[in-house]
Amino acid sequence: MSFPADHQDRVKSLLLQRYRRWLDRRLPAARMIILTQRRLFIFPSRQGFLFGFTLLLMLLTAINYQNNLAYGLTFWLAMLFIVAVHFTHANLLNLVITGVRAESVFPGQQAEFVFRISCKSSRRGHHSVRLIWPSSEVLVDVPAGGDVEVALHHPVSTRGWFAAPKLKIESRYPLGLLRCWSFASFDLKALVWPQPLAVERWESSYSENANQGFSDQEGLDDLMGFRDYRVGDAPRLIDWRSHARGLPLQSKLYSMPQHKNHWLDWRDFSGGSVEQKLSWLCWLVLQRHARGESFGLRLPNLELPVAAGDRQRDLALRALALHGLAQGGEA
Amino acid sequence: MISGEQLPRRSLLWLIICQVAVMLPLLERIPPWVVAIYLATALWRLQMFRQRAEMPPTWLRLLLGVTGATLVFISYGTFIGLEPMVALLLVAAALKILEAIRDRDGYLLVCLGFFICVTQFIFTQTLPATLYSVFCTGLLVTALISLNQSPGLVASKNEPLLALKMLTLAVPMMVVLFLLFPRIGPIWSVPSKSGQGQTGMSDFLRPGAVTKLGRSAEVAFRVQFDDVIPDNPSLYWRGLVLSEFEEGSWQTLGWRRLPSSERKPTRPEVFGEPLRYRVVLEPTQQRWLYGIAYANSSTAGVYEANDFRLGVTSPIEFQFGYDVTSWPDVALQPNLSAWRRDLETAFPKGLNPLTEAWIENLRNQYSDDRNFVVALLNYFREQPFYYTLEPPEIQSRDFVDKFVFDSRRGFCEHYAYSFVAMLRMARIPARIVAGYQGGEVNPLNNTLVVRQFDAHAWAEVWFAGEGWVRVDPTAAVAPNRIELGIEAALDGQPGFLSDSPISAYRFRGINALNWIRLRYDALTFSWQSLVVGFDSTRQIGLLKDWFGEIRVSWFIALLLGSWGLVLLPLMLWLHRVRRIQRLLPAERRFSAICMRLEKRGLERPFGEPPLHTLRRAREYLPEGDPLCVALEAIIEELYQMASSASEAS
Repeated sequence: MSFPADHQDRVKSLLLQRYRRWLDRRLPAARMIILTQRRLFIFPSRQGFLFGFTLLLMLLTAINYQNNLAYGLTFWLAMLFIVAVHFTHANLLNLVITGVRAESVFPGQQAEFVFRISCKSSRRGHHSVRLIWPSSEVLVDVPAGGDVEVALHHPVSTRGWFAAPKLKIESRYPLGLLRCWSFASFDLKALVWPQPLAVERWESSYSENANQGFSDQEGLDDLMGFRDYRVGDAPRLIDWRSHARGLPLQSKLYSMPQHKNHWLDWRDFSGGSVEQKLSWLCWLVLQRHARGESFGLRLPNLELPVAAGDRQRDLALRALALHGLAQGGEA
Repeated sequence: MISGEQLPRRSLLWLIICQVAVMLPLLERIPPWVVAIYLATALWRLQMFRQRAEMPPTWLRLLLGVTGATLVFISYGTFIGLEPMVALLLVAAALKILEAIRDRDGYLLVCLGFFICVTQFIFTQTLPATLYSVFCTGLLVTALISLNQSPGLVASKNEPLLALKMLTLAVPMMVVLFLLFPRIGPIWSVPSKSGQGQTGMSDFLRPGAVTKLGRSAEVAFRVQFDDVIPDNPSLYWRGLVLSEFEEGSWQTLGWRRLPSSERKPTRPEVFGEPLRYRVVLEPTQQRWLYGIAYANSSTAGVYEANDFRLGVTSPIEFQFGYDVTSWPDVALQPNLSAWRRDLETAFPKGLNPLTEAWIENLRNQYSDDRNFVVALLNYFREQPFYYTLEPPEIQSRDFVDKFVFDSRRGFCEHYAYSFVAMLRMARIPARIVAGYQGGEVNPLNNTLVVRQFDAHAWAEVWFAGEGWVRVDPTAAVAPNRIELGIEAALDGQPGFLSDSPISAYRFRGINALNWIRLRYDALTFSWQSLVVGFDSTRQIGLLKDWFGEIRVSWFIALLLGSWGLVLLPLMLWLHRVRRIQRLLPAERRFSAICMRLEKRGLERPFGEPPLHTLRRAREYLPEGDPLCVALEAIIEELYQMASSASEAS
């Protein structure tokens, strides 16, 4: 029986879809996943088949030479295999994996996802556990009663949310003859910012102080005083000299001339596609932040008040990254 | 991706240890250059391990492989045969060590190691060899585990312990499978051991043949009697019947040379209480078995020859157990055919003129066969004959003349030879029977151990109406040999045991050591009869004893039952250790509140401290919201619990 090629492909993709749907149903996404009995699959590895073949040769030797000790050794190893099934299974059983966090990245970079693997048992750890993505994998030992944090990386290409792909957790411990594995979908997303694109010349037409061009403003700010360091203050604002004398971290305060243009406005860009505009804005946000300047961001459906610091940058980049994307993706 | 990974450094060391360990017992069977290749590659690999050497290029490895195979062919002249195959296997393993870079090479080496262990069993099946193989298996499993330890991490250093644990858990199921697996015959014929020296008796007898056995304390066979062990003088283990004298030596008559009427064994009428026993024979590479006449065996593959000895069709390469029933009082062949009478009285004339003249004289005095034999025995008894392990060598063709009238110092075969020759000169049918006499009783398991130094040769004389009667001229010379055994008869003579300088038998004078020796021997017997000799007959007998009848359903139930017996506790244990702590009621209520908060729009980031959640909830929710109040109460409870728990501990 032969199907036309496209038909075959359709059948194949349909089957694949079904399998994925079944897998999704069986292993739903969550923040924390415990590898229970139901989640674990086990099958002989390639080495296991080699071992089986060796056992077959040994059995044939035993039969042909009618050698009871050869029988004995063959059966012993065969039963060792059965015992290994239980040990391999038990090695992954009740392993707890938690999706801890995902770092935000620019497209083309590797998104870092951090997972915590914990062992609930106080007596036996999990050995040689492998977390596998097509792009990267890590091998960890989890001590009894402890936990280990591991980072996996995945390349990202488009802005928006990048959900952690299905993770394969695998172990062949202790004998390597069996492969026990599970899939886990984590409710973990990395924010992918727009690709920054340098803006060559920028005229703010809609914002206040429209005549203020985008130019180097270094040196215009006046030092007003100091305040205690807060998380998010740019490193260049920190008074390192006083810190070197042993004082606590202090941030310098500059006077912010009110006439300066703080607004990065969507409407300032007349040409270019949506993605281009976002990329330009992204570049501007990064530039402002790098200089420690405060800024505000206006997008068609969002306005971010003027502020400075890492938090402001993150908010702005997040707004840019998610601009125009379905609200559902913004959980 | 995974199979392409580097071989962990620790496991490389384990693998090299394993390979050397599995090779050691084969040392005496393989040519020394195999060992040389083995050690060279292992050393080279170690140097690579220490980063002092490079992996040899492919052409060199190929060359080594081809050279190894060629050397095997040169050493053995063939690839067919057990030893050449084992040698090839070892060469392959040696080369694999050299190029073991990836972890899949490690798996291949371990599998090769297991197979080499099995081939070792074909050569030897003794208890120490088995224990050593068990040790090797443990090493190999350890190497397997070390392959799976994540390198550089919290790798547990107790791989051997885990290997031991897993192997121990596998034992009960192995035993059940061992008992139940049907013992079918060989599927195809396999190459056998080559160049194995035949041990024990040889199938011809010339002066000095038995003497050399007197120097060895090696075990020939062990016997377990159903009832009491008979007295030493009746323990004549008949092995060979030597009817033909040719070229100065006594020989057995091949089956092909028998006339067709003589080929069928004659079954004598049996009467009396039979002796029942089981013999476990050490490998002899010969085709005959030992038993007390008249012997009959129920074991499959054992045939009975026309001259009442037991035999098998192919040489005995492995320990062989067979059951025998003997009727000692039965008359053997009361009627002698003319052909056989001619055969059993033939002796070349003119070789020993002195004896011939003397016999003629004696025969004139005693015309009755019986009286003649008695007179002859008296002659041996009364003249100064000596029983010794170190008789003077007699090379000339007139052996009987020289021995009877000149040297008069000899071992059993000298006496049997002369005695039978003299009877034949008097036309009385007589022949030499070779075998063992006596044996050592091991009181610990009531078995009899027959050693090579118990080898003996005696005569059978045919009397009309009585058939073949055993007559032992040695008994006339040295009655102690038969009454008390060879040791008493030789009484500290040099030469005895001289081929077994470190045999445990030498220490039988020391009580404690003797007990250990006997205990070990008893263990060896049990090992041989219960494990090594467990064949389909014994299997079916055993299973019938246990289950009445043999039903497949019973087998399956037993197999699964044993699995359950071992694996159920194992699973429970593994699961118990891994049981997840249950959430406390307070913790459950806390997470329920968090879920309700989430519904109201306040998401709780994973891992946020509860107090932070509370603070955010207070900001987020209107003042005095019941959810907020409940959250506060729960958190207080949780913290109290935590603090009291830490105080308690």
